[in-house]
Amino acid sequence: MTIADVVKILDGKLMAGDGTSPRAVGAVVANDLMSDVLLNDSDDILLLTSLASDQAIRTAHIVGAMGVVVHNAKPLSETMLKVAADLGVPLVSSPLSKYDACVRLHDAFLAEERG
Amino acid sequence: MAGEYTPTILQGQQTSDDEILANMPLDTKALGGDSSVIIMELLQRFKVRDVMKRQIISVARNASLREAQRLMRENRISGLPVCEDGRLYGIVSVNDIINALDNGWIEDTCESHMASNLVVLEAGMPLSFALRYFNNYTYGRFPVLDADRKLVGIISQRDVMRALLYELSVEIRKLERKTSNNVLEHATNERYFRREWAVVHNDLSRAGHAANDIKGILRERKVDRSVARRVAVAAYELEINICIHSHGGVLVMLISDDTVTITAKDRGPGISDIEWACRDGTSTANDWIRSMGFGAGMGLSNSKRVSDAFDIQSEVGKFTKVTCTFNLTKPAASEQ
Repeated sequence: MTIADVVKILDGKLMAGDGTSPRAVGAVVANDLMSDVLLNDSDDILLLTSLASDQAIRTAHIVGAMGVVVHNAKPLSETMLKVAADLGVPLVSSPLSKYDACVRLHDAFLAEERG
Repeated sequence: MAGEYTPTILQGQQTSDDEILANMPLDTKALGGDSSVIIMELLQRFKVRDVMKRQIISVARNASLREAQRLMRENRISGLPVCEDGRLYGIVSVNDIINALDNGWIEDTCESHMASNLVVLEAGMPLSFALRYFNNYTYGRFPVLDADRKLVGIISQRDVMRALLYELSVEIRKLERKTSNNVLEHATNERYFRREWAVVHNDLSRAGHAANDIKGILRERKVDRSVARRVAVAAYELEINICIHSHGGVLVMLISDDTVTITAKDRGPGISDIEWACRDGTSTANDWIRSMGFGAGMGLSNSKRVSDAFDIQSEVGKFTKVTCTFNLTKPAASEQ
């Protein structure tokens, strides 16, 4: 599942960054607490959060996350888009709730496993 | 799928300190790499009260606009506060006088034509707030009120620039003396690389930029990916800590042949129980900080967890200094 796939699965829109990476997302971290996100040791995560602030992007950059999805159609600030573009972090906006987004991503992972 | 989803983008964000620096009439880059650090320090250290003019020339509400015009002409000022017993009621500007002359109401009272919907600054605000106001509004000056809402001064862009230019020249002289004596200050030194970032209290719009820079520098220098990540995590947590808990400070990175050291030093308030502060989940953060995704009490423990060596010193009311050291390992074969 690439970032481009994530955009489709979550009815989302790519708002900043490059969404054409062929790398596959390895895991989803659904969290609004950035210190928790920093505890993760893998660098192929997708950050799913309601935190529509620069800090979500900066945290994703620090842990080398593959992208950030802001759910519930939270309004995104221009500075957040700029930080995402500057740091090269793909930023996706989705109208789904955190729960629905998790369910769809989980189903997509299961479908991938089944081939 | 239902109709196409249209995300919302918030317009009119508050000016960031980066934009303030970019808009300053000084060529700060010409001053050397630490110049923005110096300016950020000055903007935070200086309060509006340090820069404002305290000598206030004002008129009463029932004074005529002609009287206001005379006072403005004699004192060569372009705006006059309308004030009685320290209470500010409005401002008469040159434009108000021109309109009065044009329309024949120059003998009317100031109260009847003054601007009364005012934007004001407080004397205790950092100078960075004043610069934001000048960037966000078109006014040439702002009245300054004290904690009791009494008018205590007037601040103009010229006052800010004069103070900054003077203090900058003092700071640059200090910096020149320091760099000539300290070989570690040179970022181009082959054995050592040192860089310093100012971290401003409560400025969450900038918090994290130093850690992002640090990660970029480490990747450029081909430091092992996992080590770079651990250094960046510690730097980020410490940067956020300075931003939300201290009165401001600096984050310093020193890279030598075999270690990377991150030092975070702030100017207080200090930690009374260091052991408690280093435990997971202990925090003094407020709701505002939590709403920004931090303040869960993981900062110091996270920094300690990712470091190869960790040291913390603090004195209540004075400072906290945290040093995280990381051993450099050779890049894994897959990353070479």
